[in-house]
Parts: sequence; structure tokens; C-alpha cells
Amino acid sequence: MSSTDQNSQASDLSTSPKMPADADTSVDNTAESKDTTHFGYKTIEKDDKISMVAGVFHSVAKQYDVMNDLMSFGIHRLWKRFTIDASGVRPGNKVLDLAGGTGDLTAKFSQLVGREGKVILADINSSMLNVGRDKLRDKGLVQNIEYVQANAEYLPFEENTFDIVTIAFGLRNVTDKDKALRSIYSVLKPGGRLLVLEFSKPEHELLNKAYDFYSFNILPKMGELVAKDGESYQYLAESIRMHPDQETLKAMMEKAGFEQTTFKNLTGGVVALHKGYKF
Amino acid sequence: MQVSNNQALTQLNTQTSRKVSDSLLLPQVATATIELIINKALALNNNKLVSFSAINQKTLTLKLAELTFPLSFTVNSTASATGFIVRTHVESSDCTINTSINTLKKLKDNQSLTLLIKQDELDVNGDIKLAQQFANIAQSLAIDWQSELARHLGDVPTHQLLQFGNKITKSMSAAGKKIGADIGEYLVHEKRLVVTTSQIASFNQQTKDIANKVDTLSARIDMLFSNIAEKSAKS
Repeated sequence: MSSTDQNSQASDLSTSPKMPADADTSVDNTAESKDTTHFGYKTIEKDDKISMVAGVFHSVAKQYDVMNDLMSFGIHRLWKRFTIDASGVRPGNKVLDLAGGTGDLTAKFSQLVGREGKVILADINSSMLNVGRDKLRDKGLVQNIEYVQANAEYLPFEENTFDIVTIAFGLRNVTDKDKALRSIYSVLKPGGRLLVLEFSKPEHELLNKAYDFYSFNILPKMGELVAKDGESYQYLAESIRMHPDQETLKAMMEKAGFEQTTFKNLTGGVVALHKGYKF
Repeated sequence: MQVSNNQALTQLNTQTSRKVSDSLLLPQVATATIELIINKALALNNNKLVSFSAINQKTLTLKLAELTFPLSFTVNSTASATGFIVRTHVESSDCTINTSINTLKKLKDNQSLTLLIKQDELDVNGDIKLAQQFANIAQSLAIDWQSELARHLGDVPTHQLLQFGNKITKSMSAAGKKIGADIGEYLVHEKRLVVTTSQIASFNQQTKDIANKVDTLSARIDMLFSNIAEKSAKS
């Protein structure tokens, strides 16, 4: 993305509504239609979402890992570790780490699938992909990793290619989630599994309120201080609230064809890991 | 009935503790910590003859009685680096060992392996040689802690720290021996002379009986005195 695009993105973001701490944060999906979708709390044209989300991630890519550690107090590493544990990955497996960003999951998968296996780190955003590639190369992880810039809705892989597909903290940024789930289903081998790690709805009301306060009052300020980009982190908080809750996402996965679909709440439901199989 | 209730209660406690531990991601905290320690130890290893090629991409799973979750160790060895990945759950393992931490210490000795299995202290599924290879590698790691500390603290502070450490170890060892000797002496000689709880209870009971008898006797004497006083008043 050019700097002009980034500037226009910043201008778009500056118009996004601020969320007061005591505001009703229930998800309103009614604004989503055939031609429109959500960008945080804004309703926008579907065609615009890719470039707007791209703007956010171009902006935060270099500080992404630092911000993740700061925002989650390092717990995101445990959530990802849980995902690896649940993946059942074996030597020789072919894994697609979709929206893989800076490659945390790819690094572990690469070590676990071994020389006979293969891990594809895919992300729609070139900045994130570049940061991920540099990081993994610095770690000496080169032999079984490929990098692909791809849109989750139109995966550029043959049918029945992967044993495991993961998408960690990426699905909520996808414009058409149903289409992405169908696309993932298509590239999975029969017997393969999808793991969706994503922010979700906290199980307890008290936790929900504390989480809202943190997300809308503290998180954007942290983004402003560390990444010099409070607006992007405002979007992050809003996009989390607009993402389908646990049961809705489970139903969406089932609609896309996944079977034995389950989810596991982590940290009181702040994050949930959904798992589904293709048979 | 009471036994089945106790079993149900124990099962409920186990389930609750597992749920709490899962919710707090404690298994992941444990594996992350163990992985960090192992890989740090590997990075500090000076014995370059240790070979990981035989166990590359192999997974050893430990199911310890003390833990509610298993620990799986997978080796990833490349030309540039060797590392362990520790997970809490794997669907297939090359070797699975069901045991306890105490028995694990004995596993280092190859000779006792068969004995431990016979004694039902150890249950091995899969390639038993793999377990021995993991144990051998753990034993053959050589870490020069002094040089490693000196790199961070400097030569003189490290020397002083290690001397202090040696002194503490010697003092603790001497104290341990003294305590051991005292306990031995107590068990052999003094324990026989120490009054037991039942003896104290019996003594207390006897004292109470005597006190009761004295009270009775005292009452009789009082009665006799009053009788004598009455008779002498009449006469």
C-alpha cells in the first residue's frame, strides 16, 4: 500500500466512532447486507473493507508483536500454544497458517512437521508477511516454510491440500467470513481440521465489563503510546465486539460443511478456539 | 455406599481442578516454562558429541501421576539448531510412559527399568529405547555453570559467589548430618524413655481415680467427726 493510501486510511479511521465505557456493546449484525459489511462499528461497502483493514495492518505491522505482548500481558502466547496442542500436528503434515501475520504459529508448526512436512504462511497483508518472513528467517526457520499473499475468501490452493488450517486473530478482519470458511473447507484434505483462534464473548458479566473498559479506554491509549496509532487499536476493540460470538461462529462453520465442530473458551471466553473437521 | 461417595467426590475434585487449571491455561504455562529451561540447557551444553539424529522428530510423552495433564517432548534437530518442543497433548506419541516423579529419578539407571516395570511403578507403551535415549542425552549434557555465570557477573564475583555457595553447601551438609545423628540417637535411645500418649492417659485416669477415692474418704471422715460430735453432745 502506498503512503497516499495509508493517509486516506488514517482519514477513514479518524471518523470511526469512539466507544464509551458504559455503551451497549452487543453485536448488531443487522447492518450487514449483500453489499455492506462492518469495519469496527462503521457500516461500509464490502469492496472497501479489504483496503481499510490493510491500512490498519500496514500501520501496525512493525510493532505488532510488541503490542500483542503488551495488550494481552503475554497471554496470547499461551492461547497460541493451546492452539498448537489442539492441532494434533504430526511430522509430514501440510499446514496452512492463514492470516499468519508475524508467524508465531508457523514457527512452531515448522518445527513439528519436520523436513517431510510443509507450512504455508499466508496473509493478505504484505507488510505483515514481510515482518513474519524476516522474523522466521532470523530464527533459522527456512527449510519447510513458504510465504503466500492470499485472501482467505479466494485461497489459491488446490482442493484437498492441507491436513491442518489455522486462522488466529484473523477471521474477524475477513469481509465475507462464510465465503472464507467455504474456501478453507475446500483446501482441507478429508480428515483435516480447521482451528479458529479468535476473540470472543466473555462468559461472565463482570469480566465483560472489565474487558470493555480495558478495550475502549486503555487499549487505544497503549496503541497511541507504543505504535503511535490509537485509531487502529480502536478498530481492534470495535472489530472484536462485532465478531460473531461462540455459538454463532460454530453455526457458521457447520454451515460451511465442517463436522464435529466444537469450541473451547480461553481466559473466561475473552478468546475462543473453534475446531471443525472435514470428512 | 460411603466408598462410592468418596470416589465420586474425588472424581469431582479432579474434574474441578482440571477445569480451573485449563481455564487458567496452567498446562500451557508449565510447558512453556519447561521448554524454555530445556532449550536454555541445550544452548549451554558443552558436550558437542551429543547426537540428536536418532531421536529427531520423535515424541516422548510422560503421564505423571502428580500432574493432571501429560507432557510431550518432541525433538527438532536441524543443521543450525536443536530444540525441544513441549506440548500438553499429542494424538500420537512414539513412546508413552505412565509413572510418577519419584520413579522418573530411578529411570536414569538402565538396570532398574525392567524392575520398575515389574513393580508396576512404570508403564511403557511404544519404543522403550526412545525413553532410554532421551535419558542418556539428559545425562550426557555438560554445562559449565562457572563460565556461564562469569560471562554475566564477571570472574571475581563468580569466584566469590561459588565459594560462598560451597560454604553454604558444606554447612548445610554438616547440619544435615548433625540432625540425622540427633534423630538416630533419639530413635535408638530416647524414644524408649519417652512417655507414650496412652501411658499419659492411663496416668491421668489413675490420678482421677485416686482423687475420687480421697474425696470419698474425706467425706466419710467428715461424717464420722460429725457423728462423734453429736454423740458427745448427747452424753
